[in-house]
Amino acid sequence: MLAYTVRRILVSIPVLVVSTFVVFLVVVNSGDPVANFATSRQPAPSKAAVAAFARHIHADQPVMERYWHWITGVLHGDFGPSVQSNLDIGHDLFTRFRVTVTLVASAMVIALLLAVVFGVFSAIRQYSAADYAITFVGFLFLAMPVFWFAVLLKQAGIWFNEQTGSQFLGTIGEKSPYLEVDTTWNEFTDRLGHLVLPTITLALVSFASWTRYTRASMLEVLGSDYVRLARAKGLRRRTVLVRHALRTALIPLATVTALDIAIILGGAVITETIFQWHGMGEMLVQSAQAVDVYRTMAWLLLSAVVVIGFNLLADLLYAVLDPRIRYD
Amino acid sequence: MRAHTSALTKGLTLAAGLTLILAACSGGSGGGSDKSGSAGLTSCTTQGKANTCNGGTTKSGGSFTYVLEKNIQQWNVQDVNGNTFENAEALEVVLPQVFVPQPDLSVALNTDLVTSATQTSSSPQTIVYKINPKASWNDGTPISADDFIYYWRTNNGKDCPPPPSSDATQTKGCLPQSTAGYDRIKSLTASDNGKTVTMVMSKPYSDWKSLFGAGYPLYPAHVAEKISGAKTGDAAHMTAAQMTAGWQYFQKNPPTKYATAGAYKMSEWADNDHATYVPDPKWWGAKKASLKRLVFKVISDATQEPIALKNNEVQGIYPQPEVDLVNQVKDIPNVTYVIGNGLTWEHFDLNLHNPVIGKYTALRQAMFTAISVKDIIAKTVGQFDPSVKALGNHNFVPGQAGYQDVVSGTGQGSGDLTKAKKYLTDAKFTGVGSALKTPDGKSVGPFNCRYTTGNQIRQSECQILQSDLANLGIKVTIKPIGAADLGTVLAGHQYDIIVFAWVAPPFPTSGAQQNWYTGGGGNYGGYSDKKVDALIAQAIGETDQTKAASLLNQADQIMTDAAYVLPLYQKPTFLAVQTRYVNMRNNATNVGPAYNTGEWGLKK
Repeated sequence: MLAYTVRRILVSIPVLVVSTFVVFLVVVNSGDPVANFATSRQPAPSKAAVAAFARHIHADQPVMERYWHWITGVLHGDFGPSVQSNLDIGHDLFTRFRVTVTLVASAMVIALLLAVVFGVFSAIRQYSAADYAITFVGFLFLAMPVFWFAVLLKQAGIWFNEQTGSQFLGTIGEKSPYLEVDTTWNEFTDRLGHLVLPTITLALVSFASWTRYTRASMLEVLGSDYVRLARAKGLRRRTVLVRHALRTALIPLATVTALDIAIILGGAVITETIFQWHGMGEMLVQSAQAVDVYRTMAWLLLSAVVVIGFNLLADLLYAVLDPRIRYD
Repeated sequence: MRAHTSALTKGLTLAAGLTLILAACSGGSGGGSDKSGSAGLTSCTTQGKANTCNGGTTKSGGSFTYVLEKNIQQWNVQDVNGNTFENAEALEVVLPQVFVPQPDLSVALNTDLVTSATQTSSSPQTIVYKINPKASWNDGTPISADDFIYYWRTNNGKDCPPPPSSDATQTKGCLPQSTAGYDRIKSLTASDNGKTVTMVMSKPYSDWKSLFGAGYPLYPAHVAEKISGAKTGDAAHMTAAQMTAGWQYFQKNPPTKYATAGAYKMSEWADNDHATYVPDPKWWGAKKASLKRLVFKVISDATQEPIALKNNEVQGIYPQPEVDLVNQVKDIPNVTYVIGNGLTWEHFDLNLHNPVIGKYTALRQAMFTAISVKDIIAKTVGQFDPSVKALGNHNFVPGQAGYQDVVSGTGQGSGDLTKAKKYLTDAKFTGVGSALKTPDGKSVGPFNCRYTTGNQIRQSECQILQSDLANLGIKVTIKPIGAADLGTVLAGHQYDIIVFAWVAPPFPTSGAQQNWYTGGGGNYGGYSDKKVDALIAQAIGETDQTKAASLLNQADQIMTDAAYVLPLYQKPTFLAVQTRYVNMRNNATNVGPAYNTGEWGLKK
C-alpha cells in the first residue's frame, strides 16, 4: 500500500501543475486589477503609483514568466504579491484554512454520526413510520437552501438568547472581541456558543445527503447472500448488522464523505459568509472579485492538494474497509 | 454549502428578504424610535442639528462595538494603498488631525491639536498653526512642528519620491494618496519651541484646510526618526531612505505598536476580526473617553449587520442602505437610526470617445433632458428614503457652502420629452421618436448602458434610461459589468453610457481637477474645455473660498451645458445605534461616524 500511496502522490504532481497553469491563465485574463486600482480610488492615484502597483503585482510581465515566478516562488514558500498591499498570502491562506477546518471538523463529525445512526435505523426499519420520518427530514434538509436555513437558525439563536437572557449563541465570527470576565471557561463557552449555529447549518445539510447513502447502501447489503447466510447460521442480529453488514455498507459512504469534506474545506462559502467566519470561502470570493491572481492561485493550490489528499484517503479507506481490495 | 459568487449574491439577497418576512411574522413590536424620549438619531435630519443631534452627557463605563465593513491590511492612510474608508475610521480614533470634516459637511478646527490655524497673508499665502501647548504623543513626546514637517516632506512627492521603476516591491519610496497642496508648500518653519508652525505657499491653494488632516491624520515623526536612524526632532533633514523607512513602518504596523495621541489608544488588533481601544490616560483633550472599551468589528457582509445588532453583538452599524436592510433595523427595539445624504453621488456619464456622442452636443443635451431623474429616484432609493432629491451640481452637494443648482435650469434630468425632441429637430436630426439619425444620415445608437452587476438600483436606473431614450428613437442595450471590471471599463472607455458613483471630497476644487480637467485622473469620458480648465486652475489657486466656489460654479455651468455628466442624487447613508448610547452621528464625509469617538458613551 505504501508503494501505491507514493505512486499516487507522484501522479498528482503533474495534475497540480496542469490545473494551476490552466487556472492561472483563466484568472489572469478575467480582469485588469491595474485598471481597477487606477479607477477605484479617490483621489485617483498618480501615474507613478499606478506603475508601481503594476510592477508590484507583476502585471508588467508576460504571463508565462509570471507563472514561472509563481510556481518557483511557491516551492520556496513565497506565494507571490497580493493586490492588497501588505498582505502575506501564505499567512492569510493558512490562517483561513485553520478557520475553515475549525468550522468544518465538528460539523462533519456530527453529520457523519447522525448519518450512520439514522441511515442504518432507517434501513433496518424500512417503510416504518420512523423510516418515513427520517426520509422526510432528510429530503427537507436537502431541499432547504443553506442561506435560508442559516438565517432561520440565526433568528432562532437570537430568540434563544432573548429567552434565556444570555448572550450564549453568537451569530458572527469565531468568538467575541472581548469577554467581561476573561477566564478559560468563559473563553471556551464563548467559542462554543459561536460554533453552535454554523455547525448545525453545515452538519444538517451534509447529514441529509449522507443518511440517504447510508440507508441505500445498508439496504443493499442487508439483501445480499452473505448476510442471509450469516442469519441462517444463527448469528445474533446485532452481530450480523454491525460486524457483517455495516462494515460493508460504510464503504461507499467513506468515499462520499471523503470527497465532500475535501470540497467543503475549500470553503463553505455561504455558511462562512452568513456567520462571518473569515475562512477559505471568503478568501476565494474576495480574490475573485479583486482579480487577485496570486491569492486565487494560493487558494486553488491548497484546495487541490486537499482534494487530491482526500481522494487518496478515500481509496485507502476502501482497502481498510473491504478486505477484498488490495493495492500493489 | 458551496456556491459561485453570483449564486451567493442572489442567495444572500433572498435571505435578507426572508429574514424580513420572519421578522414580520414574529410580530416584533420593537420599532426604531427611542422610548426614552430622546430624539436619538432621528433629529439629525433637522436643519442645523447635524453636528449636535443624538447628543447627551455620558456616564463612565460600558463597551461599544461598531462595524467596519472591510479588513485593514495596510495602516498608512496617507499611502495610496492604505487610503481606505475603514483605515481612516480606525486611525482617526488615535491619531490627530488639524481640520475634521463634520456631519454638516463643514470642517472644524481640532482645538485639542491646534489652538488656531490662521491665514495671515494671501501673497504669498501664509498659514500659521499654533499647536496646543498640552498636545503630546502618549509616550510623552510633545506634538511639534517636526510632525508637520515630516508629514509635508513625505507627502509632497519630491523629498520622498515614488519608488524607481527598478523596484517591484513598492518599498523604495513614498506613494502618497495625493500630493495636492503639499506640492505647493514652499516652507514650513518652526518657532516658539516647535509649538508654532508657519507655512508659506509657493502658489496659493484654496483648500489649505485639507492639509494635515481631513481624514489623513499626522503620524508621530519621532517614531519614524527613531526606526530609520535619523536625528530625533529633525525631520527637515531626513533623507529619502529614512523617510521611506518611516513610511513603510507605518504601513506595516497597527497603532498598537507606536505612540498615538487620542482619547483612546488601540490596545489590540486582531487581523480580519476587530480592533479594541481603551481610554488613554495620557490624553490631554477637553473631552475624556467615557467608554471602558471601544471595539471596531469587521463584518464584511452588510446583510448580516442588522442581525448582529439585534443580537447585541454590535451596537452601531453604518452599512449602505437597502430597502430590506432598513426595514430589518426598523423592527429592532431600542435602536435609533437615520438615513442621511452624503458626499457620494450617483451619475450617468456619456463617453465622449464615442464618435456620435462626442460630436453632437445637441444629442447629449436631448438625451439628458429626456431622462427623468425624479422617476429614477422614485423607483430606486426613494422607496426607503423619500427625502432624496435630484442633485444639481457636479462639485458641491446641498449643505456645502457653494452649492448652487446649475443643472435643473437647463432642463436636463427633467424628462421633458418635448424639449428633448426640439434639441434634436433644431440640430437637423431625423427619425426623432422612431429611429434617430444624425444630420448626415448615420444611425444614432444602439448605445450600451453599463452598470456593475448585482447592483439592482443601477440596473433599474439603466432600465429607466433605456425607456426614456426609446422615446427619442435611441435604442439602448443594458450591459452589466463584472464585479472586478469597473476599472477596466472606465479606463478603457468601454461604455457609451455608464452609471456609477463618485465620492465628493469635502474640499471641492481638488475633486474638480480630478474629474473635469483635461486629462484628469477621473475624467474617463474625455471631456475637455479650455475655459473649464482655466476656471478650475483659477479656483485651486484662489485663497478666498467664496470666490473659489463661484469659479467652480462658472466652470460647472459650461460643463453642464455641454451635457457630459448628469448628476442624479446623493446616495443615502445609514447609521443605526442602540438608544442607550449617545453622541454617535451620521458623518457622511470621508471620515465617517467615527470622527468623534472621544465623545461616544453610555447615556447618563
